[in-house]
Amino acid sequence: MFRHTFLRYAVLALLAAAALLRALTAGYFGLEILAEILILAILVLALDMVAGFGGMVSLCHGALMGLGAYAYGVLCVHAGLAPLPALAGAIALTGAVAWAIGAICARAHGIFFIMATLAFGQMAYSWVFETPLLGGDDGLGGIPRPDLSLLGIDLSDSRSFVLFCLAATALAYGAAVLVLRSGLGRSLGGVMHNEQRMRALGLTVWRVKADVFGLSGMLAGLAGALAAMQVMYISPGLLAWTTSGEALVVVILGGLGTLVGPLVGAAAFVTLKHGLSGVTSHWHLVVGLILIAVVMSRANGLFGWLEARWGARLDRRLADATREDTPREATNDA
Amino acid sequence: MLETRDLTKSFGAMQVTRGVSLRLERGERRVILGPNGAGKTTLFNLLAGELAPDSGAVLLAGEDITALPVARRARRGLSRSYQKNTLFDGLSVEENLGLAAAVHCGQGMRLWGDSLARPEVREIVAEVAEMVQLVPHLHARVSEVSYGVRRQLEVGVALATRPSVLLMDEPTSGVGPEMARGFHRLLADLPRSLTLLIIEHDMDLAFDVADTITVLNYGEVVFDGLPEAARGSRLLQEIYMGDWSDA
Repeated sequence: MFRHTFLRYAVLALLAAAALLRALTAGYFGLEILAEILILAILVLALDMVAGFGGMVSLCHGALMGLGAYAYGVLCVHAGLAPLPALAGAIALTGAVAWAIGAICARAHGIFFIMATLAFGQMAYSWVFETPLLGGDDGLGGIPRPDLSLLGIDLSDSRSFVLFCLAATALAYGAAVLVLRSGLGRSLGGVMHNEQRMRALGLTVWRVKADVFGLSGMLAGLAGALAAMQVMYISPGLLAWTTSGEALVVVILGGLGTLVGPLVGAAAFVTLKHGLSGVTSHWHLVVGLILIAVVMSRANGLFGWLEARWGARLDRRLADATREDTPREATNDA
Repeated sequence: MLETRDLTKSFGAMQVTRGVSLRLERGERRVILGPNGAGKTTLFNLLAGELAPDSGAVLLAGEDITALPVARRARRGLSRSYQKNTLFDGLSVEENLGLAAAVHCGQGMRLWGDSLARPEVREIVAEVAEMVQLVPHLHARVSEVSYGVRRQLEVGVALATRPSVLLMDEPTSGVGPEMARGFHRLLADLPRSLTLLIIEHDMDLAFDVADTITVLNYGEVVFDGLPEAARGSRLLQEIYMGDWSDA
């Protein structure tokens, strides 16, 4: 089950403060990069929920994100829905599709699960590519951003939109923590460690997997809708398997099964990408080398390395300090 | 309470369970004995639903459960512990019991709030911890406790689903004689409402705990009766190639 440690809180606070500072001070391009980080952060949170806490390594989360983007776009552009109900509809639809994928793939494990999710992702990609209503390979344009003028917020302004994305990321993180700390989250942990035993205890294992996959899909749908809002245009490329692969790289780079690690990974990946692409067009090579180094070091990503080195030590010191303080307080009270 | 009718299972050409028919009354404690390869664990897997029989039937409280999957059998009150520990090592002893209790209380799919904080789950955890003498170890991680405590927890996790029938596959497997004796007392003290079917190699346990003994050999029931009768059975002495008169 997911637990917050001192280090996790500290890194979360650091990330939130850095994002807020950047959102308030950055120029246009800085804001675009920050929005990209935040949207990717939501997608990798969704992926970490299933891969890191349920052992379901998915290669269809890119497609789910794309589905969320298209659902939002179609509901706004073709169905004429206002952006906020369209956003809710896109999240619900993506969740329902993800639930069905999770239910179908629940009996598969390891490489077979990965391949089954990849197949679903590619099917979605091909369907979108060939559907004229969705714009085919031209994509879908004219996608609006929500109107929050009643609250005095103008989301057409880049800074306001980034703050909106930051709030959405915080909500997504909170939702992921709530799910993982619930009865469902505990059952998911049990299933990941020993599916046979959980079944022998009376748990309907496929339902647990499908439910968590569905909830994770809702977050991926949110990421997709935000991506559509950001560029106000969607192309089928968003559903390509490379988006899922990239998300998986980010989760591994940050630290699988930590929730905080993928956030670190998203920030590191997008920053590296933009930093390096200005220097060389072969930036993928550098990211690849870093990923190989992280995997070969046997640390659980950048955050996992930090956690292995400092996490236990910090918690022990904190516990010692609490123990030392307790009798003193008791004496003072007396 | 639990009944099998002519249960048969083959793996390829090898028939590992041959027409096994058993009938356990409510509260009965039955020990299954037999040499290695006699088909004891296969029989358990057939009872728990982890294997499907080629023919025959399994009945729980008079109802045919042969076609039911593992989880639905468990929800009807058929629980099992394993010969090799199948615990959740990263969790504490309390969390292991809580995970099982939460499933029993229908909290395993709950989306809001921690299932282990629910009063009904906590009540079962406390009760089972007392029953299998795990109270001093509740907050320790499974990876930190001794092998013997893990065996107790293996049984505790199965008990936390509040079963009516408990299948125990060699509960004292790998523990020393002193701990095994403690285990005998623990099993003897379990509530009489619980029906126990135990696979055991330890003859002392068999004679200490069993109301009845069933002996399997080459997948067949070769003896079914009281422990006293088993002691004097020439056939069983031949199967085990030893003398039980001192047991």
